[in-house]
Amino acid sequence: MNRHYASPKGHSAFPFPIASNRSFQPRPQPAFRRRRQLFHRFLLLGGISFLLFLLIFPSWRAAILPAISLGLVNHSEELHHLQTVRYFDLSEVQGTEKGWERGERVLMLTPLRDASSHLPMFFSHLRNLTYPHNLIDLAFLVSDSRDDTMEMLSRMLQEVQDDPDPKMNFGEISVIQKDFGQKVQQDVESRHGFEAQASRRKLMAQARNWLLSATLRPTHSWVYWRDADVETAPTTIIEDLMRHNKDVTVPNVWRPLPDWLGGEQPYDLNSWQESETALALADSLDEDAVIVEGYAEYATWRPHLAYLRDPYGDPDMEMELDGIGGVSILAKARVFRSGVHFPAFSFEKHAETEGFGKMARRMNFSVVGLPHYTIWHLYEPSLDDLRHMEEMDREREAREEEERQRQYQEQEKGHDDAKSGRSSGSDAGSSEKSG
Amino acid sequence: MAVARSMRRTSPISLVLAAVLAFGFIIFVLSPSSSSVSASASATSSQQRQDDAAEHPLSPPTKPFLKDQRLRSDGLRAAPPVVHYNLNNLTSSNNALANRERILILTPLARFYPEYWENLMQLSYPHELISLGFIAPKTKDGNAAVSALERAIQATQTGPVDNRFASISILRQDFEPPLHSQDEKVRHQLSSQKERRESMSRARNSLLFTTIGPSTSWVLWLDGDIVETPASLIQDLTSHDQPVIVPNCYQRYYDTKAKKWDVRPYDYNSWIDSDQAQNLGAQIGPDEILLEGYAELPTYRTLMAYLANLNSLDPRRMIELDGVGGTALMVKADVHRDGAMFPAFPFYHLVETEGFAKMAKRLGYTVAGLPDYFVYHYNE
Repeated sequence: MNRHYASPKGHSAFPFPIASNRSFQPRPQPAFRRRRQLFHRFLLLGGISFLLFLLIFPSWRAAILPAISLGLVNHSEELHHLQTVRYFDLSEVQGTEKGWERGERVLMLTPLRDASSHLPMFFSHLRNLTYPHNLIDLAFLVSDSRDDTMEMLSRMLQEVQDDPDPKMNFGEISVIQKDFGQKVQQDVESRHGFEAQASRRKLMAQARNWLLSATLRPTHSWVYWRDADVETAPTTIIEDLMRHNKDVTVPNVWRPLPDWLGGEQPYDLNSWQESETALALADSLDEDAVIVEGYAEYATWRPHLAYLRDPYGDPDMEMELDGIGGVSILAKARVFRSGVHFPAFSFEKHAETEGFGKMARRMNFSVVGLPHYTIWHLYEPSLDDLRHMEEMDREREAREEEERQRQYQEQEKGHDDAKSGRSSGSDAGSSEKSG
Repeated sequence: MAVARSMRRTSPISLVLAAVLAFGFIIFVLSPSSSSVSASASATSSQQRQDDAAEHPLSPPTKPFLKDQRLRSDGLRAAPPVVHYNLNNLTSSNNALANRERILILTPLARFYPEYWENLMQLSYPHELISLGFIAPKTKDGNAAVSALERAIQATQTGPVDNRFASISILRQDFEPPLHSQDEKVRHQLSSQKERRESMSRARNSLLFTTIGPSTSWVLWLDGDIVETPASLIQDLTSHDQPVIVPNCYQRYYDTKAKKWDVRPYDYNSWIDSDQAQNLGAQIGPDEILLEGYAELPTYRTLMAYLANLNSLDPRRMIELDGVGGTALMVKADVHRDGAMFPAFPFYHLVETEGFAKMAKRLGYTVAGLPDYFVYHYNE
């Protein structure tokens, strides 16, 4: 390069001072390059201190980590698939007469105690219900049970939910366990004894309230209370009661009896209309007294739903009620939402389901019974009945024994006759044949 | 020339590997499994929220639920699970925090005050144990309140994990509220009180019985216009281990004469009954009610509002009451489960919260008040 410049003009080999020849000089480095090492050091230092800060103040992490981890670490992000806010419009769940067409949800409630023997029957009823199963939420209260109600119930519920036919699966299923320490025996004799009634009814009321409050949801339009020991009921019962479009509706409850007891009998005497006598009686009692129906101690002269039954009557007929029984109650959920419950104290001298009817009336809800629409409660023989039946069994056995003896004797006698008869018969046959 | 001398001999692949290693190292060091205290606390709260979640949308509203639903092998949506709740193990004790008892805060909402929400946010009880329930009327005011509420909720529930509440239910009322202006003067007129309070009872009951669910230990009733409470409100009220307990509800105001901020009583519904009131009750018809704070009805009841000992406050001083107000009210869930509700009809001539106190007493519970423990009402 130098030569090329130098030779044509014939100048000396070094015409310019070396310092002036820029092309030989290394270019002046830009400031950035010169300080690169410094920069690197700063960056390294910064990075390390940043990490240290993160280690020292973990609260920074939550803010910074999601940004630098590019979604590879999602410790708080996992909450994103949790739905925490729910919105409900209660005016959409008022309950109408054709709930099954509008997709109205029904909460079906069943209190259970030592009820494992009734469960198979109850579940067959459950499977046969015609109301869309996915709209029915089931809830059970298992309290103070000493048998295997809990295990059996869990197993049978799981079976129902595992059913391959999606039409058999029910909605939400809750099994509530709560013991109230009931000392009262559950057998028929003590259950219906007069003295035990008031405290027993209050405990039952408490149990019902616990079950309801734990399982009622803002999505429910209807609440259906059903005891486990109903033996026969129409499969369309929810729709049948719903069609009346009343706030509270109960059917008539009877029970079948052995023939020697008359074949059938009214069972649920808690559904009644108020009477003047009963109101006067109520006024005369103290604040905590509870009037219970069906006992001679309290003669109330109230018209009972049960006694008004006509087997050939119109099943759609309605009767206004003030107190109701709890075997099978269909109520609009708004009744319970507004605060009506089963008083576990003496409310206008009544408790539990009778008090429920009273309170519903107090809040101007309609309460009706269907005198000619009957469901059948299981017949559990009382101790007297059992004794009587034992006696009858013994009599029958004695009679049968007698009969057998007589037959045996007759047979013995007849055997001899038959022998001769058979021989004569064969003779006759052969003679016939030959003839 | 672009590559620094120190890096000339390293291939780009090893550089990438080194970067990946370094990145992995950072993640490992910072991941929540590290034993740092607050990180693990936050992770525990996350984990607990996760574990508390219900599997299916058909579940108690006091629980969050998983958005993704299980499918069956044939592609259909799986049936809801059978869920067991053992209520024998549910406690409501004087040490709610240690037993991790779940609180349900219920608020009938007429108007939304940002101060109310701020106060709620500063409560020191773990938010993952708190569920909220609101009920608002289907009116223009109600719509406005709900949309303001939803904005506040949106901000909170997507914010820092520890501030989020376990679950929130917003309900719209299923009955017509009585038509009248929400004007302070009209609202407090005696004639409109019965109607208004019966409607309030229905709202409270609807809210209560649909949201209480099977895992709530305590129910805290907190009105939407309570704008200031101690941060430890829940711990303080539960520590007394009372079935029903009510703090004193006051209001801050600017005293124009003395030119300073002062406090004055606001809620007069917490009282001890008197013979005069009993006699008055016996005289009036069964559908009439007795109300507190009106000259027309001289009840001579002892009002807790005036029992505060402002000169020497003792926040733990407790008295027994016969009627309670609902501006702030802590109730053991068992009391509600037994059936104690807010009567929407004259119950012993009482309605709403006062009737509730009476019903709780009929069920055998005691009702207590804290005259020297204050919460503050919004000043309109």
